[in-house]
Amino acid sequence: MSKVLFVEPEKCTGCRTCELICSFTHVGEFNPLRSRVSVVSFEKTGFSFPAVCQQCSVAACMQVCPVGAITKDQLTGAMKVNDKTCLRCKMCTIACPFGATFYDGEHDAIIKCDLCDGDPECVKFCPSGAISYREAYTANRSKRKATAAKFQEVFEEGR
Amino acid sequence: MFITINNRQIEVQTGETILQVCRRENIFIPTFCYHEAFGGQGACRMCMVEVKENGRNKNRLVAACTYPVTATIEVFTESDRVQQVRRTLVMLLKRRAAQDPYIEELAHKYEAPLLPKLKVDPQGCILCRLCILACEKMGKSAIWTVLRGIDKRIATPYDEETDECMGCKACAEICPTQAITFLEDGEKRSIWNKTFTLVSCERCGKPYATREQLEYMREQTGYETAQICEPCRKKTLASQVEKYQN
Repeated sequence: MSKVLFVEPEKCTGCRTCELICSFTHVGEFNPLRSRVSVVSFEKTGFSFPAVCQQCSVAACMQVCPVGAITKDQLTGAMKVNDKTCLRCKMCTIACPFGATFYDGEHDAIIKCDLCDGDPECVKFCPSGAISYREAYTANRSKRKATAAKFQEVFEEGR
Repeated sequence: MFITINNRQIEVQTGETILQVCRRENIFIPTFCYHEAFGGQGACRMCMVEVKENGRNKNRLVAACTYPVTATIEVFTESDRVQQVRRTLVMLLKRRAAQDPYIEELAHKYEAPLLPKLKVDPQGCILCRLCILACEKMGKSAIWTVLRGIDKRIATPYDEETDECMGCKACAEICPTQAITFLEDGEKRSIWNKTFTLVSCERCGKPYATREQLEYMREQTGYETAQICEPCRKKTLASQVEKYQN
């Protein structure tokens, strides 16, 4: 079974530790601009959301790539960019509906989340557990449970 | 199958090019026109190597990027003959693209002499054709080589603006000598004698892509997206999630 990065924004504190560890593991520097994951924070409402690549099964970045440089990793299911065949036409950055694929001008490379080859560092370092790496079906199940609990609340109120 | 490269036995698969084998084994071969997305073209001739084939008395000079290995051969990548060919090539290329650091590095390595008397317009383009291939891969083919001989250059048909060009700059990005110039000035982008008006992000107002690029994307992916730039898409996603949560 393929695992997914499961994001629970209600747990995110907006500390941006994930951004730091992500850029450190991939490029060796603490630079949020080079991070594959980025936290969007709304100060007024106090809401933070770690925006990360969804590894779509029918991925816009993969469809739009003229040379097929973006392929699915058989082991992790992550969409990976082959730097050697990539033309740097940056079509994938325009195509991604989540803005999770972008261009790093200094390294001249397209960067996107590669799930750290099946061992995501952001998950290990997230202090509040807002990002977790789980089997796709259990990720769904916990959401279903939460919905069921809400239903239960509503029904009990009605009794 | 085994072949010998610089007196070293290396296992190869039939059909692999010499360049592919050397790249895999970290044997240095300079190239300009080679890109993994397209394979070898044999245009720049920088990858020339000396090959000793069975049943031939004389060694042959071949372009490593277009020579598929089909029999047991001996390859020399830094012999005197190879060095001489590369020296000549670098010497000539340096007249066309003197500002390029990689050519400068190779000129130093192969001790290429200067050619002050040769009259060449140092426009930077070394006719490696990578831009043509990139444009072709994008499905556009807006540019091609025009004229022949010493006048040969890369251009759009009749140097006029063409409907094919979508202003993606893939040609400029892939150019090994940065010879393709474009102008990006706020809401306008000019390349290949064509000026594009950039589409602005609906959220932050920053211009981010040409209309033709967005059209191309729609054709490829088959779905409509809001005209929002890449950093703003994260914000939009986040605010949608926030709305759903509350």
